[in-house]
Amino acid sequence: MIDNGLLVQMLLGALLGLSVYLPLAAGQLSLATPAFYAIGGTLAALLSTRWALLGGGVDGSLPVLSLLLELLLGGLLAGVLAALLGGLVLRLRGIYLAIATIALVEIVRVAILNLPFTGGAVGIFGIPQPFAEASGYLLPVLGLLTLAGWFCQRLEALPLGQAMAAIRDDELAAECLGIDTTQVKLRAFVLSAVLAGATGVLAAHFLNTWNARQGTFDASVATLAFVILGGSRTWLGPVFGGLLLTALPELLRPVGDARLVLFGLVILLGPVLAPQGLITPALLERLGSLGRGAAR
Amino acid sequence: MPSDATPLDRRQRGALRLAALLAAAVGGIALLGRRADPAAQPLPPPAAAGGALTLGAVIALTGNANLYGQDQRLGIGLAERWAADRARRDPAAFPRPVLLSLEDGASDEQSAIAAFNLMLRRGVVALIGPTLSQQAFAADPIAQRRGVPVVAPSNTAKGIPQIGHFISRVSAQSSVIAPLSIEEALQRDPGLSRVAVFYAQDDAYSTAEVAIFQKALTAKGLRPVSVQRTQLGQNDFQSAITAVLPLRPQLVVISAQAVDGGNLIRQLRELGYRGQIVVGNGLNTPNIYPICQRWCDGILIAQAYSPDLDTPINRAFLALHRRSKGEAPPSQLTAQAWTAYQVLFEAIQRLQRGGGLQGVSLAEARRRLMTELLSGRYDTPLGPIRFSPEGEVIQGRFFVAEVRMGPGGRDGKFTLVRERSLEEGGG
Repeated sequence: MIDNGLLVQMLLGALLGLSVYLPLAAGQLSLATPAFYAIGGTLAALLSTRWALLGGGVDGSLPVLSLLLELLLGGLLAGVLAALLGGLVLRLRGIYLAIATIALVEIVRVAILNLPFTGGAVGIFGIPQPFAEASGYLLPVLGLLTLAGWFCQRLEALPLGQAMAAIRDDELAAECLGIDTTQVKLRAFVLSAVLAGATGVLAAHFLNTWNARQGTFDASVATLAFVILGGSRTWLGPVFGGLLLTALPELLRPVGDARLVLFGLVILLGPVLAPQGLITPALLERLGSLGRGAAR
Repeated sequence: MPSDATPLDRRQRGALRLAALLAAAVGGIALLGRRADPAAQPLPPPAAAGGALTLGAVIALTGNANLYGQDQRLGIGLAERWAADRARRDPAAFPRPVLLSLEDGASDEQSAIAAFNLMLRRGVVALIGPTLSQQAFAADPIAQRRGVPVVAPSNTAKGIPQIGHFISRVSAQSSVIAPLSIEEALQRDPGLSRVAVFYAQDDAYSTAEVAIFQKALTAKGLRPVSVQRTQLGQNDFQSAITAVLPLRPQLVVISAQAVDGGNLIRQLRELGYRGQIVVGNGLNTPNIYPICQRWCDGILIAQAYSPDLDTPINRAFLALHRRSKGEAPPSQLTAQAWTAYQVLFEAIQRLQRGGGLQGVSLAEARRRLMTELLSGRYDTPLGPIRFSPEGEVIQGRFFVAEVRMGPGGRDGKFTLVRERSLEEGGG
């Protein structure tokens, strides 16, 4: 049922889910992920099609080293932009922050649509390929996801992660504890942007084409759904949600025309039946103590 | 290790276990996904079980392009019925049975890619689709790399056949069709000089087509008095229209998709515009009638297909269409989707009759089918067509139609007003 092309899309979904999770872990509902995703993708598309130094061949190939360089640059550009914008945006809270970040997504979309070098509505097509087959993308996407997952796992034990958790639970109390909440929130925002930017780089090559429709408000909602269905209290929640919700429309193909109705039902029933998401801290604790109960 | 770990420890351990489980699942799926490509399998003889070749069709049944997808599904289905009927009556002339596998390609790039991959895994011999040019730029390179012929029924953007040798289209690009309706408007009113242009700025097809309209206007010595940018999915055009009306345009040119374009026409008329309206290919579907109703009356559109074309194949197409949709005439999209199926079906049969499918692998059959497809001539509902070596359609006949709405304003018809013969259609 699942081929490697779909698997790559699922993993890209998981990465985007993690990108929404990071600010959320510091209590910030930021929907800016698609904006940074679009920035990373646009940068990769521009670099690989317009800049011969990267080595994009006439046969449509691209050296893997160039892809790594783009990954670095895409992450960096998104991170720098997030650092510049974060100070402004993160003064807002809750729903106001969500609205401001949606506005950011719109601004980036309209900019990409109107800039003279991004190809307008058609976008940039014929993006050189570092790999001949979809399976080739598995390694870098899986690598990036492993790195991000490892980082999120480590984060729980690091001071930054604990400060993020403190802000999420009670920002005022965290401030009283002497935590520089603005700095912590900004770091979470920048990390999220770096991840989204790098994901955009991989997606641009994988999709062969890049246009302003790749980072829209719809994408914000979709990535938020990954986190809500998967669970926002552990990093595995968004990963699981991203994998599942990206695969589901394809897995439902055998039911024909009704597949999107069923997909909608899953999104509707998910939060009703599992309000905390599918992967909760309690579930992880149970999983962690499995096999130890007998020893006790 | 302490026997009673803290909740944080337990959670971390649980997270690691779950992560390992997920990683194992992803690894397992990746290994399964490396399953042998059906391309290397030999083709069975036509009479054997599994001897039928499968044609894959990936069209938009969901998403904002589904208005077009519905028309296309109908066209492909009718062509399949027509071909099966011919094969039943004359098995010697149509020796290789053909099956159709149709999947929803939705209206975005990711879905088109997933549907293409699914079709390749099923071992299709060729593909029809996807619906939108933007999707084609994403999905066609996959088929190109795997050497699978693709016939696009509705991709009119520039650069589609240039994606590669295996990519072709039966939808003439906008640069051939769009200027014809401007010529017609000028013939009706040779004195017109003030033109206003509206187009959906965030839509690939509209921005490509409007550039062609503008070029055609410039060639006739007309410079637009106003160019208004609209958005895909926009409903309210009052401010754009009120900005234009004081300039007293005599001709309005619109390049937009069916729903927003239909609304724009209606609001133009409601706000008092009485001049000529020329629209682009996005409004080339009877689905606009319920939107702009009686206000559609009189709009001009250039078409690659006319139901009024009196040829045996078009009569067969119309008869089948009437049986499933009643008296409503077929749209250009339906005719082009039929044509995409027809050219592939006929190329397969020619190849089979010539022995080109004997004892070859699926990959080789796909290569030969592409060569056969490009070299053939086809008598289709669009008129006689063939392909350039690059895969661009070369079509001899084009049409300019005028919308005539019925008395109730609920139903209408694209009425043929001019037929144009172009020696080289594809360009």
